[in-house]
Amino acid sequence: MIKIDHLSKSFGNLEVLKDITVEIKAGEVISIIGPSGTGKSTFLRCINLLDRPSGGSIRIDGVDILDPKADVPKVRQKMNMVFQSFNLFSHLSVMDNLTLGPIKLLGMSKEDAGSKAVDLLKLVGLAEKAESYPDELSGGQKQRVAIARCMAMDPKIILFDEPTSALDPTMVSEVLSVIRRLAKAGMTMAIVTHEMDFARDVSNRVLYMDDGIIYEEGTPEQIFVHPQKEKTKTFINRVRSFTYHIASPDYDLYAMNAEIETFCDKQILAVKQRYNLLLIVEEMLQIYNPFLSKALLDINLAYSEKKESLEVVFESTGEAMNVLDKNLLSDELGLTLIQSVTESIDYQRLNNKNRVSLILKKQ
Amino acid sequence: MNKEWKMKKRVVPLLSFFLFVIAFAGCRKNELFITSFADAKFAKIGVMTGTTGETIANAKFPDAQIKSFDDIMDAVAAIKSGQLDAIVTTSVTALQVSKKNPELVCLNERLKDEDTSIAVKKEDEQLFAAVDRIVGELKANGTLADMNRRWFKKEMTPYEEKQIALPSRGQILKIGVTATREPINFVDKNGRVIGFDGELARIIGARLHRPIEFHNMKFMALIPALQSGKVDLIISGMTATEERKKKVNFTQSYFLNAQVMLVNKPGVAGKKEATEISSAADLKDRRIGVLHGSVHDAYAIKTYPKATILHYKTPSDIVLANMFVLKKNIAINKEVRVSKKTGEIPSFFAGIANSMQSNIVQENRYLLILEGLKTTVIISVLSTFFGTVLGAIVCFMRMSKNAILNVLAKTYISILRGTPVLVFLMLIFYVVFASVNIDPVIVSVIAFGMNFAAYVAEIYRSGIESIDKGQSEAGIAMGFTRVNTFIFIVLPQTVQRILPVYKGEFISLVKMTSIVGYIAVQDLTKASDIIRSRTFDAFFPLIMVAVLYYLISWFLMLFMEYAERLANPKLNRKPITNA
Repeated sequence: MIKIDHLSKSFGNLEVLKDITVEIKAGEVISIIGPSGTGKSTFLRCINLLDRPSGGSIRIDGVDILDPKADVPKVRQKMNMVFQSFNLFSHLSVMDNLTLGPIKLLGMSKEDAGSKAVDLLKLVGLAEKAESYPDELSGGQKQRVAIARCMAMDPKIILFDEPTSALDPTMVSEVLSVIRRLAKAGMTMAIVTHEMDFARDVSNRVLYMDDGIIYEEGTPEQIFVHPQKEKTKTFINRVRSFTYHIASPDYDLYAMNAEIETFCDKQILAVKQRYNLLLIVEEMLQIYNPFLSKALLDINLAYSEKKESLEVVFESTGEAMNVLDKNLLSDELGLTLIQSVTESIDYQRLNNKNRVSLILKKQ
Repeated sequence: MNKEWKMKKRVVPLLSFFLFVIAFAGCRKNELFITSFADAKFAKIGVMTGTTGETIANAKFPDAQIKSFDDIMDAVAAIKSGQLDAIVTTSVTALQVSKKNPELVCLNERLKDEDTSIAVKKEDEQLFAAVDRIVGELKANGTLADMNRRWFKKEMTPYEEKQIALPSRGQILKIGVTATREPINFVDKNGRVIGFDGELARIIGARLHRPIEFHNMKFMALIPALQSGKVDLIISGMTATEERKKKVNFTQSYFLNAQVMLVNKPGVAGKKEATEISSAADLKDRRIGVLHGSVHDAYAIKTYPKATILHYKTPSDIVLANMFVLKKNIAINKEVRVSKKTGEIPSFFAGIANSMQSNIVQENRYLLILEGLKTTVIISVLSTFFGTVLGAIVCFMRMSKNAILNVLAKTYISILRGTPVLVFLMLIFYVVFASVNIDPVIVSVIAFGMNFAAYVAEIYRSGIESIDKGQSEAGIAMGFTRVNTFIFIVLPQTVQRILPVYKGEFISLVKMTSIVGYIAVQDLTKASDIIRSRTFDAFFPLIMVAVLYYLISWFLMLFMEYAERLANPKLNRKPITNA
């Protein structure tokens, strides 16, 4: 249905998409995963020309939509989009959000559009909110309305641009189940997502994007269980990570702790593990403190769902030295505390940096 | 119920404000009494902007505080409220003012006699020759002397206007006047410009076989109007000064006018003191002036032991002291009677009724106000429409990616916002449309509309930019064109957001239109000027006009609030229906 050849896109000098060739067939559900900033959203926005591609071709049912003569608005009616930030029309009620397009663009009568809208709202479980306004809905409800609004246009494909990224964790599942339901009904979809479990069980095909190209693609089984390429493996194993940069001894301790806690919230880590993590970071920073005026320190937290392991990596610049070397420490209290909650402690000199990685004990 | 109370809450402070103003209007400051030019050395002297009186006053009284006024009635209001000690104006005007205001008199000394002439555009030599010849003939056959008798009357008898038949067809002769100077020229109850100059203009029109049309404008705007061809002649008691002669041609003089000084009449009954003394008993703790060693001296000391007795050498000293030194107190003369007995204070409501009678009912002046009201509303509403549309275009240019359009719009906005509206209005009228015969109302609409556009363009822009881009993207992704996305999604939300600010801008536009009098449009403010020029009552017409402006704003505001409710979707929520 959609055939994309050698698609590229640059913003100024920044080349976001390099060379993308892919085909989406009717009835397929495609998940697009990959690290942040690798052009997943840009790719999706290029498909319906919200961002105009710099090169390549996009053919929909054989028609080149990059042809200047192509009726782009008409083409877009066939492939609607669900946004990360919902983008409901805030001056219109839920009902009017759903009927605006069909009435103005498809020429449906008000009654037909209305009854169709009610059906769709029932489908997404929001029929009773028909006369509410967007600002009266929760995030999850808004996103479900946005999905219903897409459906109202009878699209051939729906493009989902991180549909759950802006949601509270508690609301993610209500949106995902609506998308699952559409997938079961045979809707063609392309979904950019960070929800790996969801990507795994909803899609027929997974595209792993990195560095502006489709780095690896395959069935969910192939990508999630037997990734072939190095970066894919790293990504799948360490999908969830967080890095904090410390450039001076006067770093903002509270902001850092808050971010670490947010990270723990997202990963739904146990309270005990969260406590241990904060303990390690605090003790390590005590040990690093004398060096912070000269060295740059990166703290990287990574949680691998697959291994259920939480890894903390401290990377510092400066001359080769293992800060946890017993001979260098003034006392061993900190080290003892750290050792009591970690499974392993590892020191490496890598890329001119001192790298200490610690893996927390499992529960 | 709630709403009614809200309205009451709004009206109550307003009414109390106006009552406050009216009450204070009664309180006068203390005046300096001038009996000769020598007394006026340090006085506060009012002059008319751009008149020879202004030049003379500045030259003759270098130490005085000279204050310029646009119209004689403003100066009269100022002298009556104690802001001025004297007014320099022409003898005819002074005569008229003192006729209507018995507390003001004209000093016998004359500042200067001057020629009053008709001004003609320099290039218009043919017309100049014709008019000059006519003036000569009128002078020779005694017509001017007769007019002088009929218009410049010392007593309050009605004017005897001569009817002059004017041709109804032919090239219109446009006469520039400042018709706020009774009896030289003023607006009568039918809205016609009459008076000495009015009649003279008609005679000239009749002799030239041309219908005439009066353009009533501010005095200082007359010469620019003549130079730019907005009028053909100025017949408005204008003195042929050397400076003016450089700009326009003057015919031979048709009337010899003198600049005189109008001052407060000393010791006039009816000039209220802040503390009134109505009987001798009131004197007991006041300051009393007596002639030193006279019988009154002993009497006063005996009768008013608590009072402060001040001794003077001559009776005139006592009178002077009463006016300048003692101010709020009293002087005693021979029969120990209260020297300044004030009449009964007319009751407040009787005063209002009286003002209403003279300012509204008499000569059907309410028609003038209604006409002015209509003009104000028309100019306000039309400029708002024009400005709203033009503002949209400017906003489109301002937000356009095209650098040229963008710079144009930015320049437009900064110029219009950085120029006073009055200056801009006059520029448009006297410069841009100088050679075009255009209705000044249209010029006002253009000027105010352009000004409004500059402000609302930025309001629109901030409104549009406040709508998050995501919604436009959603619209575009759905298949709407950019234009339709704007119409169906961005615009309704923008309207809803900018209405409160837009409303404020609109109301300030309504009030801003009060300056259109400068280009000879007769709006509400000008109507009050005309009435004031006849009645010399400052307070009532001004307050009336203030109330009228408030009411216009209030009604327009109600309308805008209605629009605001329409634009708010949540207030017209439909009942939930189950299909």
